[in-house]
Amino acid sequence: MTELRLMWRNTRMVVLCAISAALYAAVLVPFKVVPLIPGVTELRPANAIPIVCSFLFGPAAAWGSAIGNMIGDFFGGVSPGDLFGFFANLFYGFIPYKIWEIISRGEGPVIRSPWIAVKYFAACLAASVLCADFVGWGDNLLALRPFSLLGNVIIFNNMASAMLLSPFILAAVYPRVRRGRMLYEELMPEIKPAPMPRKTLGLALLVAGEVGAWITGNLLSTGYWTPGFLPAWMAAAPYDKSVAMIVSPFMLLAVVGLCLM
Amino acid sequence: MPDVKAQTPDIEPVDTAVEEAIAVEGLSFAYRDAARAALSEVSFAQSAGEMIGVMGASGAGKSTLAKCLNRIIPELEGGEFRGIVRISGRPTAGARVYEIAPKVGMVFQDFESQLFSTSVAHEVAFALEQIGMSREEMLRRIGPALEAVGLAGFEERDPTSLSGGQKQRLAIAAVLALRPRIIVLDEPTTDLDPEGRAEVFALIRKLREQGLSLVVIEHEAEELRRCDRLVLLSEGSIIADGPPPSIMTRMEMLENSGVHPPGLNSLLHLLGIGGHARSIEHAEAEIRKRFPGVPSAPPAETPANEAVRASRGKAAANQPPGALIRVENVSFSYPGGPRVLDGADLAISAGEFVAIIGQNGSGKTTLAKLVIGLLKPDSGRITIDGRDRSTLHAAATAREIGYVFQNPDHQIFAATVEDEVAFGPRNFGLDPQEIERRCAEVLHAVGLENERKSDPFLLSKGQRQRLAVASVLVLRPKVLILDEPTTGLDYREQRRMMKLVAELNESGVAIVMITHTPWLVAEYARRVVLMHAGRKIFDDGVREFFGHDAMLAESSFRAPEVTALSRRFGTVALTAEEMAAWLREHCG
Amino acid sequence: MKTTLYIERDSFVHRLHPTAKVFGLFVVFWSIYWVDNPLALMPLALIVLAIALMMGAWENVYRFRWFFILIIVPTMLTWMLFYRVGKPLITLPPFYVSEASLMFGFGRGLKVGALVLASVLFLSGTKVEELAVGLSRLGLPYRLGFTITLAFRLVPLFMESALTVVDAQRLRGYDFDAGGPFERIRRYVPVVVPVFMGALRKANNMAMALEARGFGRTHRPTSFIEYRMHPRDAAAFAFLLALGAVSFWIYYSGLGAIPTG
Repeated sequence: MTELRLMWRNTRMVVLCAISAALYAAVLVPFKVVPLIPGVTELRPANAIPIVCSFLFGPAAAWGSAIGNMIGDFFGGVSPGDLFGFFANLFYGFIPYKIWEIISRGEGPVIRSPWIAVKYFAACLAASVLCADFVGWGDNLLALRPFSLLGNVIIFNNMASAMLLSPFILAAVYPRVRRGRMLYEELMPEIKPAPMPRKTLGLALLVAGEVGAWITGNLLSTGYWTPGFLPAWMAAAPYDKSVAMIVSPFMLLAVVGLCLM
Repeated sequence: MPDVKAQTPDIEPVDTAVEEAIAVEGLSFAYRDAARAALSEVSFAQSAGEMIGVMGASGAGKSTLAKCLNRIIPELEGGEFRGIVRISGRPTAGARVYEIAPKVGMVFQDFESQLFSTSVAHEVAFALEQIGMSREEMLRRIGPALEAVGLAGFEERDPTSLSGGQKQRLAIAAVLALRPRIIVLDEPTTDLDPEGRAEVFALIRKLREQGLSLVVIEHEAEELRRCDRLVLLSEGSIIADGPPPSIMTRMEMLENSGVHPPGLNSLLHLLGIGGHARSIEHAEAEIRKRFPGVPSAPPAETPANEAVRASRGKAAANQPPGALIRVENVSFSYPGGPRVLDGADLAISAGEFVAIIGQNGSGKTTLAKLVIGLLKPDSGRITIDGRDRSTLHAAATAREIGYVFQNPDHQIFAATVEDEVAFGPRNFGLDPQEIERRCAEVLHAVGLENERKSDPFLLSKGQRQRLAVASVLVLRPKVLILDEPTTGLDYREQRRMMKLVAELNESGVAIVMITHTPWLVAEYARRVVLMHAGRKIFDDGVREFFGHDAMLAESSFRAPEVTALSRRFGTVALTAEEMAAWLREHCG
Repeated sequence: MKTTLYIERDSFVHRLHPTAKVFGLFVVFWSIYWVDNPLALMPLALIVLAIALMMGAWENVYRFRWFFILIIVPTMLTWMLFYRVGKPLITLPPFYVSEASLMFGFGRGLKVGALVLASVLFLSGTKVEELAVGLSRLGLPYRLGFTITLAFRLVPLFMESALTVVDAQRLRGYDFDAGGPFERIRRYVPVVVPVFMGALRKANNMAMALEARGFGRTHRPTSFIEYRMHPRDAAAFAFLLALGAVSFWIYYSGLGAIPTG
C-alpha cells in the first residue's frame, strides 16, 4: 500500500491521477440525470473507467477513482455517506491491479482465454464487493439507508460495466499504453512488491473480510438475523448498531488484508 | 520589506560577464526502443540576447532539442543521452527539471495542457508558489508579467474562458514570472488561428527587445525572418546554421528538409535575382531594379465600403440552380448563446473546390455542422440534393456529404488502419467484399496502403489526418467538407494532404475546405466564401477575392506575401511561379 | 459546460472564509444526523432552505426538485420494508405499515433530502479552489488538493471531446441506441477509446509543463490564494456551534427520537 503514498512524488503519476479522475467524472456526470433506482445510485457505464485505469495506472487510478467519484457527488449533491464513498472508490480503483499482480503470472489484463477471463472477473468482483460493502456499511452506520439495498445495487452495477465494457476498452488501450511506457510499473520502478506469501495472505484476508461483511450486512439489515448475543436495544431496527458491532470487524479484516498486499 | 533574494534562492542575478546563454556540445539522444537517434551530435551556441529560430520537418528533432535544454530529457523522458548542455556557462548535467525552470523558461505547443489554475493571476503565481516565494513578492511579479503579455486586467478571469492566443500568452506570462533569462518556445503558434499567431509573434518580438535570449521552434520560415540566426535540423542533425539570409535563400535545402520556403525568396529565386527579401517592399524594389517596366498598381478607385457592399449583393446572388447543397437564410444560436449564424446563404454544386474563410467565431464550423445535420437551424432552409435537411438524420446523408473533423484523434479507435476505414461501411451494412474493395481503394488513394495492418495510434499526425479522410471517403460522398485539414501538420505533410484533396476534386468530389491558411486558399481553392459575423460577405472566385483590396482589408485575412506583392504591380498572382511567369511575359 | 453547482453571487455565504464554509457543512450534517423525528427535522430543513434562498441558490434547488422527490419517496418506501417496528396499521406486504415505520421512513427521507439540500447550498456558494483551501487548512496534503482542482478543470474538456467523438462516429453511421441494455453499454467503446487516448497524449504534455514550472521541487509550496477571517466568520462559527449543540440536546433529551409505542 506504500505506493499510494509514493506516487505523489512522481509528477506523471499525479497527472495520470487527475486524468483518471476527470475521465471517470466526465462519464459519471451526464448519467446523474438518469438514475437507475432514484436516489440510490445510477446505472453507471462510468464504473468501467476506474477498473480500466487501475490495470494501467495502479495507485494513480485508485486516487483518481476516489476523486472522480467525489466530483460526481459535487454535481449531484453530497451527503455524509460520501466520505465512505471516497474510500469505497479508492479501494475500487486499488483492488483490481493489486489482485492482478498476485494472480496474473505476468500476463497483461487483456482477455485472450477463458481462464484469463475468469481471473479478470474475479479481480473485478473482489473490487466491486468491497466497494459495495464500504458504501452499504457507511450508510447503515449513519442509519441513512439499509446496507442490503445500496450494497447489492452497487455490486450489480459495477459488475455490469466491468464485464460488458471494461474488457473491450482495455483490449484497445492496454497495448498502446504499454508501448507508450505509461504503465505504472514503468513509471514507478521504485515500487517493491511484497513477498508472495504475504500478498497471498493479504488476498485471503481481503476475500474473507469482504465476503463476511457482505453476508452479515445483508442478513442484519434485512432483519433475517437478529444476533442473540447482542442486547436487544442494539439489535433493533434501523440496525445501525448491530451493523457497527458485527460488520465492522469484517471491514477491518478486509482493510488489513489490503495493507498486506 | 522582505529580502527577495533570500526567498528566491533559485533566481540568480544575471552574470553579465558570461556572454553565452546556451551552449550545446555533441548532444545525442535516442528514445528507448527507437530505431534511430532523435538527435545526433548536435552542437550550437547562443549568446545572451540572441534570438535563434529552429526549423525542420516533424521528426527532425526540434522538440527533442528543446526538451534537452531544460532537462525534461533525460529527466522525464528516458533514453540514451550523450553530450553537454550549458546554461549561462554552467553544465546542466544532474540537475532536475525544476532546478532549471527559473533559468530556462519553456513554452509548449499545446496551450490547453499548460494551464492548471482557476484564475489568470493564480496561473502566473503557480510557478512562484512552487519555488516557495512569499505572497508579497508574488503580487509584485504578477502585474508586470501580465502587463508584458498584454493581459493586464484579466487577473480574475478563468483561463478556460480565454481565446487560444490569450491562453498561449498566459502560458508565456506564467513562465516570465520566474524571470528566466532564456525562453524556449516549442511551436507556440501551431495550434492557433491567424489572430492568435499574430499576437504571439508580436509578443515574441517584444520579449526580444527586452534582451531575453530566445529559442523559437517553428516550421513556417516566413515567421522567423527576424531571428538573429536560424538552425535547420534534419533527421536529428544540424544541416545549416547561420543568419536568415544565408539559410532562407537555399530553396532546395529548405524544401528537402520539409520547411516551407518564404514565398518572396522563391520568387526572387525563380526570377534569377536571388537573395533574401526582408519584406514585401524590399522584394518589390529588387524586382523593379530587374524589370524597370513593371507597372505600378493604380490606387483602389472605389471607396472600400461601397465595394464591399456591392460584392455583398453579389454574394447573396451566387445561388446556381441544381446545387447539391443549398443553405438559404439560415440563422442559428447555441442554447443561451449569441447568434452564431444570422441569415447565412451558401450553395455548393458538384465538383467545386470552395474555401470557407473568416475569423474565429464568424460561423464557419457551425455552418458546416448545420449542413451535415449535427445541428438544426433556428430558421431558414437547408436542402441536400433537393431534399429538406430537417427531414433527414445526420447519418442518412453521411454517404453523400463527408465531414472530416479538425482533429483526427476524435474518431480513431480501431486496432488496425483497415478496421478503422471499414468501420463506416460496416455500420451501413455494406457487404464484406464491397467493403474490402473500397478499403483497398481509399487506402491507396491516401497513401496508406502499406499500413493496412498498422495500429493507427502509431501513425504520424499527417498519416492520422489522411486516415481520417480515408475513413470518410470510403462512404463515397459527393461532397467532402474538411475542417482545417492541415492544422498541426508540417509543410511536407500539408502539401501531401492538399495533393490528396486536389486529386479527389479532380476525380469529381466537391471540396469544401474551412481554413485559416492563406497559401492553401491561393494555391488550391477555386472559389472563396468569406464569413463575417454569421453571414456570407463574399462569394466569388479566388482571383477575384485576392484582387479585391477593400474586401481583403476589411476581412483581416492576409494574402500570401507573393499575392500581396502582385497587387503592387496591378495584377493578381496566386503563386510565385505565376508571378514569375507574368513578369517575364509582361515586362521581360 | 458546468460541472459544479457554483453560482456567482455576493451573498453572506459566498463571503465566508472557506474554513467556515467547510465547518458549516460539517455542522449541518452533524445536526441532521442526530435527529430522527420528522417533526424535529422539519425546522432544521427549513433553516437550510431559508439560507439557500437568501444566498440566491434557488435555481439549484429548483433544478433538483425532482431529485429531492425521488430521494425522499424511495427512501421512505425502503425503510418501510426494513423497519418492522410497532403495531401494523394495515397489512400491505411486503411493506410494513405501522405508525412508527411511517414516521421513521418519512424521517429518513426528509433526512437524506435535507443532507442533499445542505450540500447543494454549500456547493452553490463555494468555488473548487476554496474547497481545496478549506480542506488544506484541515490537513489535506497540497498535491492531493492540487490534483482535485486539476481534475475539476479537465472534466469539461473531456466531456467536450466525448461529444465531438459521438458526432464523428454518428456520421460514420454508428447507432448508439441499437440493441438491448447490455449491448448498449458496450456501444460506448468507440467513444471511450478516442477520448482516453487523447487524454493520455495530454498527460505527457501536462507532466512536462508542470515540471517546467517548478512543480516537483517541494511538497509544501507557498500559497498565492489567501483568505482572511472576518468578524462575520466568527459570527458564523458561533451560530453553527449553537446549532450543533441544540440538535445534540434534542437528541439527548429524547425529543428527536421516534416514539416506538
